[in-house]
Amino acid sequence: MDEAQLIKGIQQGDRKSFQTLVETYQRMVVNTCLAIVHNKADAEDLAQDVFVEIFRTAENFRGDSKVSTWLYRIATNRSLNMIRNNKRKRFFQSIEEAFTGGRNHGSEVSESRNDQPDQNITDQQRSDLLHRAIDRLPEKQRIAFTLNKYEELPYQQIAEIMEISLASVESLIHRAKKNLQEQLLDCYKKKCV
Amino acid sequence: MKTKCIQKDLIFYLDNELSVEMRTAVEKHLEECADCRSFLAFLQEGIQIIEKEKNPEVTPFFYTRLSARLEEKPVYQTQSQWVRLAQPAFFSLVLLAGIYGGLKLGSNASSPKVYQQATNSAQMLNDFATEPIESFLLDEL
Ligand SMILES: [Zn+2]
Repeated sequence: MDEAQLIKGIQQGDRKSFQTLVETYQRMVVNTCLAIVHNKADAEDLAQDVFVEIFRTAENFRGDSKVSTWLYRIATNRSLNMIRNNKRKRFFQSIEEAFTGGRNHGSEVSESRNDQPDQNITDQQRSDLLHRAIDRLPEKQRIAFTLNKYEELPYQQIAEIMEISLASVESLIHRAKKNLQEQLLDCYKKKCV
Repeated sequence: MKTKCIQKDLIFYLDNELSVEMRTAVEKHLEECADCRSFLAFLQEGIQIIEKEKNPEVTPFFYTRLSARLEEKPVYQTQSQWVRLAQPAFFSLVLLAGIYGGLKLGSNASSPKVYQQATNSAQMLNDFATEPIESFLLDEL
């Protein structure tokens, strides 16, 4: 079944078409979210939200871009929103704690990064360092870089997903790499891991 | 004689994005500089983490779970959205009331000063909600 037929099926509420679409793209969507939120459980939750959105808004899909472009766009937007909400929650929690004397410490914000206990220490430390460095990138650099590195997308498709020019993608990825290198160099000099 | 350190080119060296001349210069420098070699290894190991963690296995019940969620009414989302907006608004009010109250108690502050401080904190809250300051600064680079 080709993509156009699949989308048509979903637009008519056909669950079988939807299941085919999900099974084709679930790994791609989870991987995209994981690159931004760094936690597999959160990435799967986000991927669920992405597909629910696809199912509920399928009639808006115009078919002038690839299905994957549409999925990537929703996945990156939702992942960034989760990061923003977590930041906001942490901020208001700290205010709340200032008022209540810290009774609500560590409640609902989920940002644990170690859900693979059997990894060796050094790899875990490297991974934490890399995630911290990626998290510090400005949002557009982060999206362009992660789509290129985690999904191995060509610059042209990243431009379509982000709705920016090819030159902007090149510039974003170049700056992202420079920023990451700077952060890793800083850590290397200070022996931070 | 030792050439200048090339740490800032190494990420592009790893990604094979340097011109032939620059690549040759980097390789020449790496031969003679242990510190750059050591940073190259550090950088390479850091970036290689991406290869190790990408494309994880998705849980086998992904679609089953998704299918169950499609039966839910989308009403829940509007509710939680309301809570999400109301909570920060509530705490902002509490914070502003606290600051205002504190300044009031501090008595000898003149009223224009009180007004200015209150706007400053409101400004700070707005900034925080959109972009963290460090990414804002990095954007300028
Ligand atoms: Zn050197």
